[in-house]
Amino acid sequence: MNSRLRTLLVIACLVLAGCSRENRVVKSDPLAKAYDSEVDWNDPQHIIPLSYEQAQGKRIFYQQCVWCHADATPAGPSNRSNVTPSPPLMNDGSILNPETDENIQNTIALGGSAVGKSAMMPPYGKMLSKDEIRSVIAYIRAIATPPYQPPANAASAYSEK
Amino acid sequence: MPAENMGRVPRSLRLALAVSSAALLVALAISPMKDLRREWKLYKRDYTRFAQTRPDTKRLLADSHPGIDQIWIPEMGVVDRCTTCHQGISQSSLAGASVPQPFRAHPPIPHHVQEWGCVVCHRGQGPATELAEAHETTLAWEQPILPIHFIQGACGSCHREDLPQTPQLNRGRELLANLNCTGCHRLQDMDRPQMLGPDLTNVGTKLSREWIYKWLKEPRTLTDADGNVTVDGVENEDEPRMPWFRLTEDELRALSAYLSTLRSKPVEAYKISPAVVASWSKNPALVEQGELRFRQMFCSTCHSLAVTRGGETKLVGGDIGPELTKVGTKVKPDWLVAWLRDPHGYLPHSKMPRYGWSDEDLFQVTQYIETKLTDPDLLKSVPDLGAPADAEIQAGRRLFSEKGCAGCHAIEGVGLQKDFGPDLSALGGKNVSQLEFGTSKIPRNLISYIQAKITNPLSVNPAARMPQYNLTPVDLDAVTTALLGMTGTPATSGMEKLLVPKRHAAFQAAGEFGKVYERYKCYVCHQFNGDGGTLAPDLSYEGSRANRQWLIQFLRNPQTLRPTLVLRMPQFNMSEQEAATVADYFGMVLQNPDVNPASVNRQDLSPQQAALGKQLYDVKYQCQACHTIGSTGGYVGPSLNDAGNWLTAAWIEAWLQNPQALVPGTIEPRRAFTPDEIKALTAYLLTLKQSPAATRAAHAGAAGGQK
Repeated sequence: MNSRLRTLLVIACLVLAGCSRENRVVKSDPLAKAYDSEVDWNDPQHIIPLSYEQAQGKRIFYQQCVWCHADATPAGPSNRSNVTPSPPLMNDGSILNPETDENIQNTIALGGSAVGKSAMMPPYGKMLSKDEIRSVIAYIRAIATPPYQPPANAASAYSEK
Repeated sequence: MPAENMGRVPRSLRLALAVSSAALLVALAISPMKDLRREWKLYKRDYTRFAQTRPDTKRLLADSHPGIDQIWIPEMGVVDRCTTCHQGISQSSLAGASVPQPFRAHPPIPHHVQEWGCVVCHRGQGPATELAEAHETTLAWEQPILPIHFIQGACGSCHREDLPQTPQLNRGRELLANLNCTGCHRLQDMDRPQMLGPDLTNVGTKLSREWIYKWLKEPRTLTDADGNVTVDGVENEDEPRMPWFRLTEDELRALSAYLSTLRSKPVEAYKISPAVVASWSKNPALVEQGELRFRQMFCSTCHSLAVTRGGETKLVGGDIGPELTKVGTKVKPDWLVAWLRDPHGYLPHSKMPRYGWSDEDLFQVTQYIETKLTDPDLLKSVPDLGAPADAEIQAGRRLFSEKGCAGCHAIEGVGLQKDFGPDLSALGGKNVSQLEFGTSKIPRNLISYIQAKITNPLSVNPAARMPQYNLTPVDLDAVTTALLGMTGTPATSGMEKLLVPKRHAAFQAAGEFGKVYERYKCYVCHQFNGDGGTLAPDLSYEGSRANRQWLIQFLRNPQTLRPTLVLRMPQFNMSEQEAATVADYFGMVLQNPDVNPASVNRQDLSPQQAALGKQLYDVKYQCQACHTIGSTGGYVGPSLNDAGNWLTAAWIEAWLQNPQALVPGTIEPRRAFTPDEIKALTAYLLTLKQSPAATRAAHAGAAGGQK
């Protein structure tokens, strides 16, 4: 009885101590800025480790794509709301999982209008190399929600040299 | 021995002979058996078996042979046998995490394994044929393999210039520079800047002894019980430039006494015109007006303030200058006025520009700072120090040198101490036996050593003079990566030839422009031919890009060109003549050789072309996804509302052909426009002009709205 009371007291103290800190500054998880992992966009507790290729894709994504394909950007406001039709969020597996690697590769390299989509998506084929675009796709696959399941006979993403 | 017994060996001897022969045979067999079961041979057999389970067995085994595989590159001194076990390293079908190691393919990188080998990047021992010897530290072979999390450090050994592919390495190098590590250490390819910490020759005119005591005790930061760093009571992720030196009470008293007496050059108190003081001091809107001016000057571009919104406190603003939340309690009022009027009179190397402020501005802003940016409780924890005693001053003077303060801070008459700490320019290549771990319990490897040294220097050396840093785990790993890349001069001359040296840019602004450039410190935010800050656009080719008239107007009254950016160009109250000097210099010197002003003539572009250009802009290419015209469009690229006044025709044309050729790294993708389309788009963009009144209104709106 005595010990149970003590436990209760301790818990109560802990709870009170937890409440006493108002003005608590929300500190973003340092892992969010890590270079070889990404925080799940829908679940901040879930950290996705990235391979070398996926990490390169993450880097390019945050330079080129994040402005329209995410709701938050390093510079603050997202441009997504200014673009019609609204571009898919880059982690939206329900839209991107059914697309093959080749389709996404073409959309990025040739632009939206070349593949019958919005002309607001510009072509990046003259700016990014094939390997760079592949790495972006690898990153998109890594962060997809629901998770991406590669087809049984996955085309290789390895560059021949 | 009887003759008939000759040749007959006793039974016991025969038995012994038989046993020893058998033993000899077994002993002879041990070696081939052991050889057959060597680690690498097991991996070779495993690979053959593994390849047989794959659909492309034939291709996977095409180059397979029973011996040791080796990559030999004599000129680089590379002898790598890693491919003996890592047999699938260049087999494209073995990519991905589902393939077990050591057979997985290497991800695509710019360097191919046959040309570079493995240990150039991964370190470890190339000639070894056993896993432990190849990957780990042994008595004979000390260099362990580099953990993949720190692999960018290896890029840094040769690539002394930052690469876009190595963000972790670049961040580490940036931190080493920002945290003033060059104040005490020699670092590979990092110059010691002219000024690291502020010059303290006159610090007694600026600060009280109490404040100095507090600052030295908890240099802007404190680590609270949760391990969070706080800045003047506000939690912050950034490490302050001034680290924590673990000073004792006596040391704090001595140093604060010494520093508070440094006033070799008294501040010339500037008298704000009595008329201005009289007309404003009774005005209830004084402080509010000061805050407005503070905002309109874009002080927050460089300085941050703690702002509480919805119960959440965070720092808002830039980190070029110090954080100012409680600066009103820190500096003396006379000093503040003198500083704001002419920062370079107090600190010649300060990054703070010299604004052309009126007396009204000075009075309002200083009143705002002294009223609002204060904290009466800030110095409550400081004991009563009293007037500095002679003994304390003497002790402080001695401590200033002993503690290495003079590594970063200059005091007239006290020489700067260079190389106060050990030379770290080859730290990344050190073997474990070269490191002192003391009594610490950390794992014996270079990475643990570096991280322990930064987070708690005393743990590896109780007599360490090194101050303590409190980096986030990500930043700590970044700094470690950068240090691992500092391997000094390469071991072979072949490797030395492969170094990609760091470009040491130095932009010399000459003549009249040089004076304006120094007064407004343009280079703190802008780059000029590779030299300068990265906060604002690179101005190396500004003369090719912007029209003279527009530049003059912009400098006198800057407006927002990029709606996504929060930080903006301050209004310096530049004179017409200063603005013209800048614009003329840009026009003369900051030209891109590939932009030929004679290539396009505005007059040759017809209204029909402009109409076609509008069609292309609106429909075919839909540029409005990223650019704003009027009030619609995106805000990824700059607003084009005033493009006709802002940009030169030649620049627009060259830009549309290949943006990356003009500004490497710009995010506007290169398009496949036809020459006619380029002409039409250029014609259209040149028709976009905004009246000066609209420009001013836009600026006023932006300044007022920025909170």
